Amino acid sequence: MASVSLHRVNASALARSSAPFAAVVVLAVCCALARARAERLSPTLAEGGFDIPAFPAEVVRPFSFGLRSMVSDLMFLQAIQVHGGRGSKMVTAQQGAREDRAMNRLLTYSTDLDPAFAGAYRFAGNAMPRQTTDGKVTNVLQAEALLSKGMRERPDDWHIPFTLGFLESYYLSRFEEAGRSFATAARLPGAPRYVGLLATRTLTEGGDLAFATQLAAAMADQATEESSQREWTERLQDLQMERDLREIEAAGARYAARTGQHAPSIAALVRAGELPGVPREPHGGFYLLGPDGQAKSTAKERLRIRGRNGTVAALEVQ
Amino acid sequence: MSGFLRMPWLIAGNTVRELVRSKLLHNLLIFAVLLIASSMFVAQLTIGQWDRVILDLGLAAIELSGVLVAVLIGVSLVAGEVERRTVFPTLARPVTRGAFLLGRYLGLCAMLAVSVVLMLGVLAGVLRLAGYGLSSAATVAALLILLELALMAAAALLFGSFTTPILASAFSLSLFLIGHLLTDLKAFQQRSHSELAKAMTGVVYRVLPDLELLNVKSLASNELPVPHGLAPSAAVYGVAYAAALLVIAVSIFSRRDLK
Repeated sequence: MASVSLHRVNASALARSSAPFAAVVVLAVCCALARARAERLSPTLAEGGFDIPAFPAEVVRPFSFGLRSMVSDLMFLQAIQVHGGRGSKMVTAQQGAREDRAMNRLLTYSTDLDPAFAGAYRFAGNAMPRQTTDGKVTNVLQAEALLSKGMRERPDDWHIPFTLGFLESYYLSRFEEAGRSFATAARLPGAPRYVGLLATRTLTEGGDLAFATQLAAAMADQATEESSQREWTERLQDLQMERDLREIEAAGARYAARTGQHAPSIAALVRAGELPGVPREPHGGFYLLGPDGQAKSTAKERLRIRGRNGTVAALEVQ
Repeated sequence: MSGFLRMPWLIAGNTVRELVRSKLLHNLLIFAVLLIASSMFVAQLTIGQWDRVILDLGLAAIELSGVLVAVLIGVSLVAGEVERRTVFPTLARPVTRGAFLLGRYLGLCAMLAVSVVLMLGVLAGVLRLAGYGLSSAATVAALLILLELALMAAAALLFGSFTTPILASAFSLSLFLIGHLLTDLKAFQQRSHSELAKAMTGVVYRVLPDLELLNVKSLASNELPVPHGLAPSAAVYGVAYAAALLVIAVSIFSRRDLK
């Protein structure tokens, strides 16, 4: 009898001590079930995922209380997550429009908060443009706008004008503007030598030989290493060659317009008075005039770049 | 040491010993150190810009935890003691109220300096682990944060000298927030068409502390040099402003009826 009573007392004590634990377990289960149901029922936002705050950057900047650089980093990190979320699979312009918009908004916001954030501009130039499966390339103009802002805010960073030059030449086929952007980059501290060479090549493609020559002469003057000076002197010769070839082609065009047929040779152009004399090829070769009216040098290829025209010519920029 | 400085010095030493045992200080420091260390993991989310993310988070942690230490502990050192009435045994001795306040302030500033150096050391360590170094601009930014904290500590003591701990904390934290908004207040003043608004904002701008002058974190994280002469000028401004607040605090506390 006593044993049964003791057993009841023990059971009662055990029940009392385990009651809070049981209550917590029951409540936890209730929470999980209620949360799952509430999540199912709650309306999903059309523009879910990463996006900028509800307040404009002009408001958030002062109200970040001296921590705007960190808030800018948070927006930048979100843009990187959006970029990573795209994956490597190409989609149509319509399917990727939401991510495109989010990246542009986040990076614009980030650079509005901290206009000196060079990394955000560089990332925008490299990550924002997107080729689509329906023959388009999106976010180029938005990236161009961000990079232009970056050039104003961080005139010391050569990567920004360099990336802008790439977008202008590769996607937009604006070679003269691209050449000028590359030229800006080439003059900044830390820019590798090839940037200046690329600038002169792009300017040549764009038609601004005078600016290309000016840049090459300045770079040759500034070059302290012998190899670098040699490279720039050679580039000046390339530009002289291009100028000669253009003169020959212009004379050939005038000749063809006057006589109705292509000139057979450069000597014929000189004899006809279209050229003052046979120009001297600066690399030691000589010039030839083709039957199609195109001039060339026997010493070197002309300065040309293969950009969007050669590789992604069919893409429509959005 | 002259008699005038001896008493504040003794109280400062006592304050440091007291604060070394403060759980609030320990908790805030642990929080800041964890935040700085976690920046290493946050930086994993980025493509490049590791050093910027680590530096931004680290300097923000130093500033925020420092402001909390300066305000919450600063308020408890005077207003808290008055409220708990533990200030009376000290003031019953031949200690002037000014010496008491100055000693408390110096002790708190010493602890703030130790905290900032400790957190800067952790930040430098995290940057080193990520393969970067602590730039001179980042060091200048941390030193200016220390001056900002010294100014906030003086504000906490000032408010604590005439009101309750809760109100003093609220006033001090509000001053911190307003201090970072003053640049925009100046812009508002320049754009305003009302002469009255211009005059009023002008007075507010001149009287309140412009904490943005002590903020070069953005320059440090963008690897931009601190403009020549800015740091010394800002430092003089911060020290002079904190000293002015202390003078007012001593003046008020000396006249206060503590009954």
